[in-house]
Amino acid sequence: MYDADHNRTETRVGQKDIKISCKDVQVYYGTNHAIKDVSVEIEDKTVTAFIGPSGCGKSTFLRCLNRMNDTIDIARIEGDILIDGEDIYDKRVDPVQLRAKVGMVFQKPNPFPKSIYDNVAYGPKIHGLAKNKAELDDIVERALKRAAIWDEVKDRLDASGTGLSGGQQQRLCIARAVATEPEVLLMDEPCSALDPIATGQVEELIDELRQNYSVVIVTHSMQQAARVSQKTAFFHLGDLVEYGETEKIFTNPQDSRTESYITGRIG
Amino acid sequence: MTDATASASPARGSSTRTKSIITTDANTRRRNRTEKRFQYYGLAAIGVGVFFLFALTFSILRSGLPAFTETAVTLDFTLSQEQFDEAESQVLKTAAYERFFVQELQAELNEEGAGDVQVEEDAISRIMGNVGSQIREFYRENPDRLGEEVSFSVPASSRVDRYLNGGLSRELLENSRFLTPEDLDIVDRLSESGVLTNVFDWDFITGTDSGVDNPGGAGLGASVVGSFFMMLVVLALSLPIGVAASIYLEEFAPQNKFTDLIEVNISNLAAVPSIVFGILGLAVFIQFANLPQSAPLVGGLVLTLMTLPTIIISTRASLKSVPPSIRAAALGVGASKMQSVFHHVLPLAAPGILTGTIIGLAQALGETAPLLLIGMVGYVARTYPDGLTSGLLDPNSAMPAQIYTWAARSDPAFYEKAWGGIIILLVFLLAMNAVAIFLRRKFERRW
Repeated sequence: MYDADHNRTETRVGQKDIKISCKDVQVYYGTNHAIKDVSVEIEDKTVTAFIGPSGCGKSTFLRCLNRMNDTIDIARIEGDILIDGEDIYDKRVDPVQLRAKVGMVFQKPNPFPKSIYDNVAYGPKIHGLAKNKAELDDIVERALKRAAIWDEVKDRLDASGTGLSGGQQQRLCIARAVATEPEVLLMDEPCSALDPIATGQVEELIDELRQNYSVVIVTHSMQQAARVSQKTAFFHLGDLVEYGETEKIFTNPQDSRTESYITGRIG
Repeated sequence: MTDATASASPARGSSTRTKSIITTDANTRRRNRTEKRFQYYGLAAIGVGVFFLFALTFSILRSGLPAFTETAVTLDFTLSQEQFDEAESQVLKTAAYERFFVQELQAELNEEGAGDVQVEEDAISRIMGNVGSQIREFYRENPDRLGEEVSFSVPASSRVDRYLNGGLSRELLENSRFLTPEDLDIVDRLSESGVLTNVFDWDFITGTDSGVDNPGGAGLGASVVGSFFMMLVVLALSLPIGVAASIYLEEFAPQNKFTDLIEVNISNLAAVPSIVFGILGLAVFIQFANLPQSAPLVGGLVLTLMTLPTIIISTRASLKSVPPSIRAAALGVGASKMQSVFHHVLPLAAPGILTGTIIGLAQALGETAPLLLIGMVGYVARTYPDGLTSGLLDPNSAMPAQIYTWAARSDPAFYEKAWGGIIILLVFLLAMNAVAIFLRRKFERRW
């Protein structure tokens, strides 16, 4: 809770730019209306948490932000999602380019069954970010340092990424995501498969990442949302019920559903 | 049934709450008995399977191993230049060589202490076939060996071979027009004195097929080459086509009625009897496309049709077994669909694909029925192909087709050859399966 307090004072100081602007977003899975009329503005250099009970659509909405839902045949998305004022569902947008700008970390650590180095170097390689081996080495080192895992793996970059512990794997995945120099980082319950110690490390890391990125995190744990985020959005049954300063959501919710969820009566 | 017992047990449970768990109750005992009984059924099933496997292996080895040996007279022999010139000057040249052979054989017999046996040229002709021409052939090809001691291994006729290894009874042969009782006496004495012995018959593995009247000279070599060229065609066509089709269906194709139909049909094709593919091959490749009959190219094309569904099904299974999180990870860092498949999914699925392909090839290697219809069965493969084009387009046989041909011939000596052929075919199949297992063990990745 102390961390959250500390963060809040910071957010009040300067007005942040809007990074992602969503207006009247609808998502349908076949005939199932999964996301209803969601409008939300996500700030730059801020951690925004999506909370809500299982099946409320928070992960679905997160996956709209880098068009990962495109891979599901029956998913249909309506409404506008603008990143830096550009509609990401515009016909001219190639999702591949978008995903280089909007990185993603998944629920279960999913390193490629390759070496630690190759895991991190893969993104920069396919996007042509490095001209030569030395530059690539630099990018890998910087990404691993940013993900706070460099000291643990610097002596065994050739070892397999799948051989690391769960917390290390997740931080490797974060390194992989930041290696492509994204502007937004999406995290889909990044700590749900981790023990409390690894969770602490990843949460610390998320707070640091806020310096450079707009971070959107989906989480089941209200404590986690309170610890790491400055803004919180509460989803319920596909609706965005309430969105605002994390402190306000947790101490003085406006909607009765939010209050019920936070106090543990639903969800 | 289960509902009834489930609802009954809580009621009983409340009355027996104080009962000790040290003594097992009737219900538990009954369940344990059922479990034990099921284990015995399983063991019995495995036992029957193992028994049949052993019976099969034993009967194949017993019937097939004699095909790898032949009865032959091994004789050290020195022919001088003068003797050669003299023989070549005669009208009946091979008879002259045969005379030398008989003289040497008689000398050998005298040395071995079996001098009472008198070998004659007529009897030797019946027992050994045309010995003279074999010797003449050798010296005409290797004139520099004249005057040196040369070790000749001259095979006896297949009837003598089968007589000595118990395949043919003496009564049967005495009544035939091929051998007289006196010949058989000579054979017995030659065998006893160690002049006529069993030697390994390399020609069976490397040689070509013989006509219907000469089972002793039949070899599987040419049809091994035929099978090899067919497998080349099958591999070159079915692997790329099968893998491309699987990747498209598994990773790219939209889920609709049309792709459902294709999927159902692929599964159905895997179950189509192979003779259907044979008649399809006859109609399409030979009658319509005018490709040559009995050619390994056509055989390979037909077997490709047969192997494709197997490869597609196993490739799709191994693509499916790659966790979706890997695809998501690749897409998440901005890889395109194509990059995620070729950089991540395909390498992880490769061991499974290879295993499926090798097993598909092994199936194709043992397939006979389609080859019946395109003319590979019954073709007497007397020559080796020279080069790739000839290997693909010239008529040839294939291992299973050759075995079928031998089994269908009337001379019982071919029956033994068929069993021997089965051993060679099984060795190839086992080797391929071993490679498949090795690859799977070496490259399989676990999550």
